[in-house]
Amino acid sequence: MGVTCVAQVPVAEGKSVQQTVELLTRKLELLGAEKQGTFCVDCETYHTAASTIGSQGQTGKLMYVMHNSEYPLSCFALFENGPCLIADANFDILMVKLKGFFQNAKANKIESRGTRYQYCDFLVKVGTVTMGPSARGISVEVEYGPCVIANDCWNLLMEFMQSFMGSHAPGVPSVFGTKHDSVYGPADTMVQYMELFNKIRKQQQVPVAGIR
Amino acid sequence: MEPETFLDHEMVFLLKGQQASPFVLRARRSMDKGGMPWHLRYLGQPEIGDKNRHALVRNCVDIATSDNLTDFLVEMGFRMDHEFVAKGHVFRKGIMKIMVYKIFRILMPGNTESIEPLSLSYLVELNVVAPAGQDVVSDDMRNFAEQLKPLVHLEKIDPKRLM
Repeated sequence: MGVTCVAQVPVAEGKSVQQTVELLTRKLELLGAEKQGTFCVDCETYHTAASTIGSQGQTGKLMYVMHNSEYPLSCFALFENGPCLIADANFDILMVKLKGFFQNAKANKIESRGTRYQYCDFLVKVGTVTMGPSARGISVEVEYGPCVIANDCWNLLMEFMQSFMGSHAPGVPSVFGTKHDSVYGPADTMVQYMELFNKIRKQQQVPVAGIR
Repeated sequence: MEPETFLDHEMVFLLKGQQASPFVLRARRSMDKGGMPWHLRYLGQPEIGDKNRHALVRNCVDIATSDNLTDFLVEMGFRMDHEFVAKGHVFRKGIMKIMVYKIFRILMPGNTESIEPLSLSYLVELNVVAPAGQDVVSDDMRNFAEQLKPLVHLEKIDPKRLM
């Protein structure tokens, strides 16, 4: 586990999501990156207790339950700007028990699937973000393995991302700002995916209410 | 496996909703072994069953979690109801787990250093985590409990009678 940056890449003009993904992966292969199987990150949305207990009309907080194929036995539960709990996959069973208090907004399930590439010390995952049956966007995750302090390798990460993303290379992820010189962990990657998924959901103007 | 000692801090959290009974979760952490995950446990209602089953049966979900569990539960809307410290020994026989421990009251909320025992007695607990419907394991439990007599009378009781 190193330091990871997750970014969204806009769909190229006149191209489909799939064609843009192919353009990106071709660039990576030309660089010399090696294909290493596939990956998947998914995210389910739950309406929290606040909406069941709170006064009528008050919108409750949303809780996100996520999985990452890089950590197949774990489950990540997050609140926006809140703590990220790392738990056993059994946490999913608990959510079933809690269904009287937390409703799964099934139509809001969003995931990113794609190919995993290795290029020297970098791990790159290019994914198609889908919500229901439709492709909504493209995610690129880049991990630099040998370092665990975000500030120490951000410049290197950015330079590498520019080599195949060009002007679409992202700015410093907001989670880096709160880390300073502390150790980067898997929860920080999940927070970045959560933020990316939320951004993509909003872009599509999908109403959150009324899906329960 | 060798018997082990343990010193745990358990916090019981409640989530109240429109339903009559609150949802209960238990968060437990080891106080004497560093670097261990926190333990989150859901326990369902105990089912007495008939005379052929020699143990109480309840649903159980065990989850190992990161150390920000209590913050997370509060964020979910849970409130801490009570807490205690459990100190004792754990023995294993196959899939059976036998715990001999004392429960300590926490005198100042949140301060697990200042505690006093609830009673001079030890509590003996025998439990097995098994897939649903495997009532046969309760036979092994009864056989084991027989061995503890006359020192310990480990019997199936109706918890509703004690409330």
